[in-house]
Amino acid sequence: MGCMNSKSVRKFPAREDSLDLAAETAFTVNEVEALFVLFRSISNSIVNDGLLSKEEFQLAIFKNKKKDNIFANRIFDLFDVKKLGVVDFEDFVRSLNVFHPNASLKDKIAFSFRLYDLHNTGFIERPEVKEMLIALLFESDMKLADDVIETILDKTFVEADLKQDGKIDTEEWETFVKRNPSVLKIMTLPYLRDITISFPSFIFNSTNVERVDETSTRL
Amino acid sequence: MEECHTVFGKYEMGRLLGKGTFAKVYYGKQISTGENVAIKVINKEQVRKEGMMEQIKREISVMRLVRHPNVVEIKEVMATKTKIFFVMEYVRGGELFAKISKGKLKEDLARKYFQQLISAVDYCHSRGVSHRDLKPENLLLDEDENLKISDFGLSALPEQLRYDGLLHTQCGTPAYVAPEVLRKKGYDGSKADIWSCGVVLYVLLAGFLPFQHENLMTMYNKVLRAEFEFPPWFSPDSKRLISKILVADPSKRTAISAIARVSWFRKGFSSLSAPDLCQLEKQEDAVTVTVTEEENNSKVPKFFNAFEFISSMSSGFDLSGLFESKRKTATVFTSKCSAAAIVAKIAAAARGLSFRVAEVKDFKIRLQGAAEGRKGRLAVTAEVFEVAPEVAVVEFSKSAGDTLEYAKFCEEDVRPALKDIVWTWQGDATCAANVPACHGEECHKQVVVVSTI
Repeated sequence: MGCMNSKSVRKFPAREDSLDLAAETAFTVNEVEALFVLFRSISNSIVNDGLLSKEEFQLAIFKNKKKDNIFANRIFDLFDVKKLGVVDFEDFVRSLNVFHPNASLKDKIAFSFRLYDLHNTGFIERPEVKEMLIALLFESDMKLADDVIETILDKTFVEADLKQDGKIDTEEWETFVKRNPSVLKIMTLPYLRDITISFPSFIFNSTNVERVDETSTRL
Repeated sequence: MEECHTVFGKYEMGRLLGKGTFAKVYYGKQISTGENVAIKVINKEQVRKEGMMEQIKREISVMRLVRHPNVVEIKEVMATKTKIFFVMEYVRGGELFAKISKGKLKEDLARKYFQQLISAVDYCHSRGVSHRDLKPENLLLDEDENLKISDFGLSALPEQLRYDGLLHTQCGTPAYVAPEVLRKKGYDGSKADIWSCGVVLYVLLAGFLPFQHENLMTMYNKVLRAEFEFPPWFSPDSKRLISKILVADPSKRTAISAIARVSWFRKGFSSLSAPDLCQLEKQEDAVTVTVTEEENNSKVPKFFNAFEFISSMSSGFDLSGLFESKRKTATVFTSKCSAAAIVAKIAAAARGLSFRVAEVKDFKIRLQGAAEGRKGRLAVTAEVFEVAPEVAVVEFSKSAGDTLEYAKFCEEDVRPALKDIVWTWQGDATCAANVPACHGEECHKQVVVVSTI
C-alpha cells in the first residue's frame, strides 16, 4: 500500500494534484478541495491513515460499522481502481465523478453496467442478477419463493436480453437503460452539485491561484 | 459590463456594488447561463486575523440549509490562497426601505411584505437558523417586488453590504434589536427575530420607527420597556398584532405559529402553493373521482424489473449517506397486497390525514395537504409498481412543499398509517413474519370515495 502514499493523502492536496483532478473530471479545483474535506472525515473514521477502507466506506454509508452489504461492497470494489483493498483520494474523486449531475450519460451507463457485472465477465449474466436479487431479499428480510424470483428474472431478461443468449452485453444494456431510465437514478448524486457549500472548510486551505489574486488591489 | 474580468472561468465580475472592512460585493454574470449574480469577495488574511474563519465556515453551512424564495440564495463558495468568494443570487430591486423613505406603505402592500418576511423567517427557524440581525439593509426587493432577506447566516460578518455601492452603518442604533439582546444576556435568536419582524411591520405601516429618540440612552430604555405609540391610521387589527409581537418579555411574545393564524396576517396570504390538483388532473387527463379496487383490477401496474427493484430497495447502492449525517427517510416500500388495494389504502390513509386525493394515472396517485406548509402545501405522489404477481413496490416522492415537512410526513404519518400493508421499507430489515398477508377482507372490501377538487 505504501506509507508514502498515505502520508501525502493526509495533507491537503497540492495545487497540481487538484488541478489535474479538476482537468479530468467534472469537478472544479475548489470542488476537488471540498471533496478532500469529505474524504478526510470518512477515511479517518476507523484508521487515521488517509486511505478509505471498506469498513470506513460502509460506516459512512450506513452509519453502522457492523453492516456488511453486497451492494456497498460492489461500489467499493469499483472505487478501488488499483485493487489494493483501499481507496485513495484520487480514485475517490475519479469514481465520484461518474455520479456528478453533469457527468455524461455514457459514463453512467458504463459504470452501472460494471456494477451489475458482479464477476467482471463483460456481461451481466442471469446468475449474477439472481445473486443480487437474493441478497436484496435477504438484506430486507423478504422471503420469496424461487419460482417468483425466476419470474422476475424471466420478465427482466425478456426485455433486456435482446439476443436471448442468457446474458446482457454493453450494447443491450445501453438500449435497456435508455428505455428504463429509472435504473440509472442511483447514478446521480445531486449533493455533488453544491459540494463546496456542504464542506466549506476547504476555504481555509485552498491552494487555488486565480487571476483575481494578482489583481488583489482591485478586489 | 464595464471593466469586467473572468473568475474561475465561470463568472464575469463587473462593477463594485458595496464594500466593508473584510469584503467587497461585485455584480457578476455566470458565463454558461448568463444569470446575474452578486459575488462577495472576502479577504482571507483579514478574516484570519480577526479569528473569524470558523464562524464563516459555520455560516456557509447554515446558508446551505436555507433555500427559500424569500431568502437570498448562496449558490457557490469558491476560494483561492488569499480570498473567499460567495456567489449569491443578485437582487436587482434595491432595498425595501428605499420605498419607505418616500413615506408609509398601504396596508395591503405592507402586509404582503410582512407575510413574505414571516414566511422566510419561519422557514429558517425550522432549520434551526436565526438571523439575529434583521434590519433595513437586509431586506431587499427583486424585480417582481418580492421581498428577499439577505445575509441570512452571514449576520456574523461585522458589516452588512448594500447593493447601492455605499457603506451603511447603523451607528449602534438599537432600533430593530430585541430588548433581551440589548441586555447582553443569553437569548433565543428566534424570539429576537420575531421582535425585529414586529419593528419592520411597524415601520412599513408608519413610515418611521416605533422607538425613536435623539438621545441614544432614552431610545435604549424605550426598547427595553417596549414603550411605543401607534399613529392614528393603524387599523385595530394591525395594532393588535404588533402589540403581541413587541412585548419586552420574550417568553410572553407571540410565536410565528400564532402570527400565522391571525386573520389580519392571513388576508390575501398566498403561500408558495403547490400546483392545484385540479390543474394536475387536467394535465394528466385523469378525472377519476373514486378509487375502487374493482375498477383497478382490470388494469396492471407498470412492471418493476429486477434492476429497478435492486436499485430502489438496496440501501448499499444509495451513496447519499456519504453526504448526510443521518440516514435519509425511506420513501420506498414493498407490499404483498394487490396494487389496487394499496392505492385504496393510501387514499384512505391520506383522507385520514386531511390530504386531498386525486388519482392521476393508473396506480399513481397524488396527495395534497390541506394546510399551508413552510413552502406552500405539501404535494406527494405515490406510485405502485408490480415486481411479481404477489409483490408490489410503492414509491413516494415529493412534488411540492418543504423537504423537512415531507420527511416528517413519511416518517410520522405514512409509516404508521400503512403499516398493515407494508412488507418492508427500503433500508429496513423488518421481520417478514410480522407482515400480514393481504388476502382477507381488510384488503378486498375497500372502496374509497375521493373528494372532487
